[in-house]
Amino acid sequence: MEGVAIIGAGQTRYGDFPEKGLKELFAEAYFEMLASVDRGFDPQLIQAAYIGCLSAGSGFQLGQLAPLLMGHVGLPHVYAVRVENACASGGYALYNAACAIASGKFNFVLAAGVEKMRDVSSTKGRYWLGISGDTEYERLAGLTFAGIYALMATRYMHEYGLKREHLAMVAVKNHRHAVANPKAQFRQEITLERALSGPPVAYPFTVWDCSPTSDGAAVVLLCNAKLAKSFTDRPVYLAGFGAASDYLAVHDRHTITSLHATRKAAAEAYKQAGIGPGDIDFAEVHDCFTIAEIMAYSDLGFCEEGQAHRLLEEGVTQLGGRRPVNVSGGLKAKGHPIGATGCGMAYEIFRQLRGEAREPSRQIPNARFALSHNVGGSGGTAAVFIYRRGD
Amino acid sequence: MGAHISIPMYQRAIPQRYRLVGQKCVKCGKVNFPPKAVCKYCLSSAEFAPVKLSGRGTVYSYTVIAGGGAPPEFAEIARCKGRYPVALVQLEEGPVIIAQLVDVPEEEEIFIGMPVEAVFRKIYEEEGVIRYGIKFRPA
Amino acid sequence: MSVSVVSYGVYLPYLRLKREEYISAWGSCSAEIKEKTVMDVDEDVLTMAVAAAKDALEHIEAEQVSVLALASTSFPYQEKVMAGTIMEALGLPSDVLATHHGHSTLAGTEALLTACSLLAQAGGKYALVVVSDAPSASTAQDIEHSLGAAACAFVLAKEEPGLVLEGAYGYVSEVMGVRYRQAGERGIRDIGVRSFAAQAYTRAVEAAVTGLLKKLECSSEAYRHVVLHYYDLRTTASLGKRLGFSEEQLKGGLVYERIGDTGACSTLLGLCQTMENISPGDRVLVCAYGAGSGSQAVGFVLEQEKPACKTPLSVLLEKKRYISYTHYLKLKGVI
Repeated sequence: MEGVAIIGAGQTRYGDFPEKGLKELFAEAYFEMLASVDRGFDPQLIQAAYIGCLSAGSGFQLGQLAPLLMGHVGLPHVYAVRVENACASGGYALYNAACAIASGKFNFVLAAGVEKMRDVSSTKGRYWLGISGDTEYERLAGLTFAGIYALMATRYMHEYGLKREHLAMVAVKNHRHAVANPKAQFRQEITLERALSGPPVAYPFTVWDCSPTSDGAAVVLLCNAKLAKSFTDRPVYLAGFGAASDYLAVHDRHTITSLHATRKAAAEAYKQAGIGPGDIDFAEVHDCFTIAEIMAYSDLGFCEEGQAHRLLEEGVTQLGGRRPVNVSGGLKAKGHPIGATGCGMAYEIFRQLRGEAREPSRQIPNARFALSHNVGGSGGTAAVFIYRRGD
Repeated sequence: MGAHISIPMYQRAIPQRYRLVGQKCVKCGKVNFPPKAVCKYCLSSAEFAPVKLSGRGTVYSYTVIAGGGAPPEFAEIARCKGRYPVALVQLEEGPVIIAQLVDVPEEEEIFIGMPVEAVFRKIYEEEGVIRYGIKFRPA
Repeated sequence: MSVSVVSYGVYLPYLRLKREEYISAWGSCSAEIKEKTVMDVDEDVLTMAVAAAKDALEHIEAEQVSVLALASTSFPYQEKVMAGTIMEALGLPSDVLATHHGHSTLAGTEALLTACSLLAQAGGKYALVVVSDAPSASTAQDIEHSLGAAACAFVLAKEEPGLVLEGAYGYVSEVMGVRYRQAGERGIRDIGVRSFAAQAYTRAVEAAVTGLLKKLECSSEAYRHVVLHYYDLRTTASLGKRLGFSEEQLKGGLVYERIGDTGACSTLLGLCQTMENISPGDRVLVCAYGAGSGSQAVGFVLEQEKPACKTPLSVLLEKKRYISYTHYLKLKGVI
């Protein structure tokens, strides 16, 4: 198997951009990616593109989104395909791109993601957001996406004594992290009291437990590890990557306080990288709802099952802590343009490991290994990546 | 309308939606609901016998959906009730199913382990056709 | 061939509206109710029918049901066979002989009598009669104040002990009654002529009851319980008295005050109520009335065991949650 390196990455700011469509967002991230390659890069070298997007199937561009976007940036003839696994679309684009390099078939591959969520009425938005679960059963019980994670949270509270305060601590932490991130959607702190007393969405969640809808795009350039040093002295290596599935509907799962797909994907990634959870210096995890970050702590091996909220109490996962999580602000505050999210995590880690976090206050010093974790729907799919600083 | 469920799609699942018909695996004896092509417990058998579930069970987990965020098909329910509870119910026969809770005196009285029983209700109406199905009430 | 009721089921919606809510909203309540039942947003005549029928079938094998007679003035569709929904929800065999009865509050007894006759034709053991109703009217009309919702279901069997049907007597005339509904309308209307309508009611019920007594060669004292279609307190009481029934005979089937007017279901709910206080050998007379005008009287006698019932009406009357008039208007789709 060939080694995989990241030599460039770009990301739009996440947020609400009425003047930009899918093509404009994608192009913006693409050009930032090109500019980030230290010694320059001829785009004609790109052989393939995997592009994550969910909403392309819901009224913007029904089919063949990937060739459309590649044609827009002057690469009309490369292999291009859209990847869709709901909120993990970006992660799966990255995973497929990494596999394409590892197989030896391609040397230069784009992994990207893009989403335009703020163009539709809230009613239409709810129509298509609902499809990431098992529509026939979950949706028709009157359940929203927040509602599915809320069921997990209620059960987690019952089994492990988690309090609503712990959920709020995730939101408070990630909002604090986002303040210094110029790419984040919400750059404002919130208090614990505010997080707890927000308008209810689905018990036990208030609006502050939920990630926002966002527009945005992220593009990552992967190349065969053997070629990386001709483009930069500081590549970031994808030391391990794993992806796995689970039953889409929560009623089919053996447990709802842990995501089996995450556990299996993480095991695969750790094994390939030859390291364990203890070696990870920082992580970007999938916090679409606050409980998701809490479950991720144990599913990724950062703590024992049911002990995740202790990490929050001890400040382990905040910036400056032993293992910071979501220093970008996470989905919660950096934003969650569904298809882009998985690649946006890779962008953040690429910058952090190269010491390019922009604001010195948010730079994690001396990090060597990082992890990103991207979940589709309520855990129907998950992708986990382990990154190693290339020096 | 991404999540639109057509009339034929709904009607093909009438035995499950109206009276909780599950499938008992001929090999391992466990009950699958909703139906699978291959038993989700033994992951090997594709032979089943239909079995009508009792509709009795307990609340495994629950949430209360705030009216403003309800899926569009449920706007009418949300409008009348303001908010409504949805639960994962563990049935006596084993399967866990997801459904709304009705006839609950106060939402604060819902708890994990609460005994419930199935009732036949309107789920929503679309294209002028009433979609009936199962909800649960305190037993 | 004798036909008897061997089990029955009742359903009342969980929600209730108190008389006081009308008084505070409108200044008065035109109906002689203390409270009435109200369907929740996810209930209709068919969901109530399934609930009542499920209880009635508690100890009966669904596969043995060969006749299904449904009655309501308020089916959710103008055109569509309703029996399919009930058949699927209960798991009845699809070769069940099904009939639908509507168009007046006589539909309930009509379904009961039809099922009795069809049972003779049908091969199977049981007939299921399901009467479910929730009449509606514009909330601006006085007639609306009384309208409630309920369902009851009866399992009939051939040659089995239970509440045996002794005979029936019908009466039809062309006199307008208090209410009617035009094709395509959902709400009932009031002709607005009180005494004329009351007289039509009195004549029709009187004709059916006296006809039945004569046919069965029974005196009015022969009945332990008498359930007359409820018109209003005074009219119904004086009619009962004129027919020779005592207050004692009439009170056992009075359910109106706590449920409201449940259309085709009304008198049969009264029958269910009398089942809680009945002994072998007791006779029950039920007389339904349909404005427009017609009446059907049915006589029963209890042989050996009482029909089985999972949850009696007296228990259901206590399972409830009160709602405000504002909430009620939301449920009616007015606001």
